[in-house]
Amino acid sequence: MTALPTLTVKNAKKPARVTGHGKLAAVYLAPGMLGFLIFIVVPLVASLVISMFDWPLFGTPKFVGLDNYVRMLTGDPVFWTVLGNTLFFAVSYTVLNLVLALALSTWLHNLGSWGPFFRVLFFVPVVTPMVANALVWRLMLTDDGVVNSFLANFGIHGPSWLSDSQLAMGSLIAMSVWQGIGYNIIVLGAGLNGISPNLLEAARIDGAGAWQRFVRVVLPMLSPSLFFCTVMTIIGSFKVFTQPYLLTLGGPGESTNTIVLYLYRNGFSFDKLGYASALAWALFVIVMLITALQFSQQKRLVNYDN
Amino acid sequence: MYTWITNENDRAQWQAFVDAAKKKDPAFNLTLEGPSFNDYWTKVKTRLSSSGAPCIITTQAARAQELKDLTVPLDDMVKSNNIDVSMYNKAMIDGLTVDGSLRGIPYDAEPVVLYYNKDLLSAAGVKEPTLNYTTAQFTSDLKALTKDGVTGLAVPPGFGSGPGLPLAFANGNEPVKDGKLDLTNQGLVQDQQFAFDLAAKEKVATAPQASDGTDVPEQQFMSGKAAMLIDGPWMYDTLTTKTQGKVGIAVVPSTSGKSVGMIQGSAFAIAASCKDKEAAFKNIMKITTPEVVGAVGAARGTVPSVESAVKDWAGNKPAADVAVVEALLKSGRPLVTTPTWNQVETNFTQYSGDGFRGSKSAQEILSTIANSAK
Repeated sequence: MTALPTLTVKNAKKPARVTGHGKLAAVYLAPGMLGFLIFIVVPLVASLVISMFDWPLFGTPKFVGLDNYVRMLTGDPVFWTVLGNTLFFAVSYTVLNLVLALALSTWLHNLGSWGPFFRVLFFVPVVTPMVANALVWRLMLTDDGVVNSFLANFGIHGPSWLSDSQLAMGSLIAMSVWQGIGYNIIVLGAGLNGISPNLLEAARIDGAGAWQRFVRVVLPMLSPSLFFCTVMTIIGSFKVFTQPYLLTLGGPGESTNTIVLYLYRNGFSFDKLGYASALAWALFVIVMLITALQFSQQKRLVNYDN
Repeated sequence: MYTWITNENDRAQWQAFVDAAKKKDPAFNLTLEGPSFNDYWTKVKTRLSSSGAPCIITTQAARAQELKDLTVPLDDMVKSNNIDVSMYNKAMIDGLTVDGSLRGIPYDAEPVVLYYNKDLLSAAGVKEPTLNYTTAQFTSDLKALTKDGVTGLAVPPGFGSGPGLPLAFANGNEPVKDGKLDLTNQGLVQDQQFAFDLAAKEKVATAPQASDGTDVPEQQFMSGKAAMLIDGPWMYDTLTTKTQGKVGIAVVPSTSGKSVGMIQGSAFAIAASCKDKEAAFKNIMKITTPEVVGAVGAARGTVPSVESAVKDWAGNKPAADVAVVEALLKSGRPLVTTPTWNQVETNFTQYSGDGFRGSKSAQEILSTIANSAK
């Protein structure tokens, strides 16, 4: 077959510029952009400005330039402790959350009629207020709380879950995983539902065992959902505040102090809004860099074929 | 009025003020709003920055420096209304004077006391504390009391509310000198270590969680699980009526037996954002007359700020208890603090768990706090 000839029309008139679309687009975008400007851009810029001042909650602010940032990076050992704690929490929590969510959603996917019931059960902690969850866990984990009383029945003297500096962070992570896992189970469950059963059938016929099918077929097909869950979970985990605020108040020592709790305290308890804004910007930059890193790996790791 | 409402005890206390003021002016009323005591010092600043903020707030002599930007100087209104401030407790008036101007009218002047459960003491064969209670006797009494599921002393995680600071005051050691933080002075460190050791070494006190607040140890005392508790006279009515057992009060023990009282006083102040300051001041005067503070003292146990009203407070209380408060008031020194006190309290609450469990010393904790709360 010969290729069809391409026709070039001589002196073809360029299509008339379609005017009016730009203005129309602006009108449609305006509400969304207005919201974006008022609630995101303006506060961001204001926060940057405040971070250059020594700004008490009630009183006159004083311009100090980059002093807050200098102090944060060189004069405040607590900042590095707090950053380390937050990073440790973010990594541990994300890994545990994703592994467990993947395992549970795979199990639920193959569970048949009981699947939806358990899915709801796992999702309930996600929608209950974090404050209520934290208070219940506090009752469970105090020195003579539910967990230790239960262990005492077997003659085991339970440790101090919330006041032992080695265990406190672990308790926080456990509570957070319990609370957050339901959301990822739902998302991964939807991703699993989107995998064509023909693919798995074909893999089985080709002789792939269950584990091979999981690693070579299910995981790659699930990678868009996994990518979404990873990005959202990491961003959320960097913002951890309610759990340390209610369970341990950042203690014992500084072992569960996280960056958002630290910046809340600096801003509202210690009256240093400028320093708190500097901390907030540090957090923003870190999360942005990590998210950019994840997106850069997208081509390599995420498979969008259907 | 924006104030601290931690529990029913607090709410009843404010209501007692309103009821006592109503006796003279039936039309008097005051709406109450506010968070728990620990959160109050953080939240009052944000509450007053928002519109529609209440005109009257409560403050403390201990925190007057910290709230100086939120409160209005009262000297001119005092003069124009012909109020004689000399009738109020002098230590409180001094504590409430910031940059030369009076910021609040005090309604109480309360020395922290040691509450004890008389029934538990007699069951353990321990003699009731005298006015010359020593820390040596205190330690041996706690040891005798800790048995059969009962702990000697219930302990909150805070600094000012904890046993450490009152014990230090009893020995004449204070956390602030010449308006500056002095947390690492030898005496204070030793007394705080003594308090830590009661839980960590002697095991006669329960180590608290950072999130406990003052509620948990008060509940432990009231349910009879702890035999003693160091707390303020503002809890007198609740602790004496709601505890399982008869309750008495004693001086805070000291090394020598001569206890110096730690006096905390609270006051009513006018918010800087208030539109009608004169009206607010007149309302404040209605609830700080000798009659009103005396009536509140009689009903709730808050020790009045006006000396002539202390007899109203004493009127319905056992003579032994009155003797304790009078002795502590006589020897007492006010708790004054610095503008960074909120940071001291917040950090101490974080670190005290380690101190009470023996993993950090009082020296380490107090130096860390002194360095960060400069």
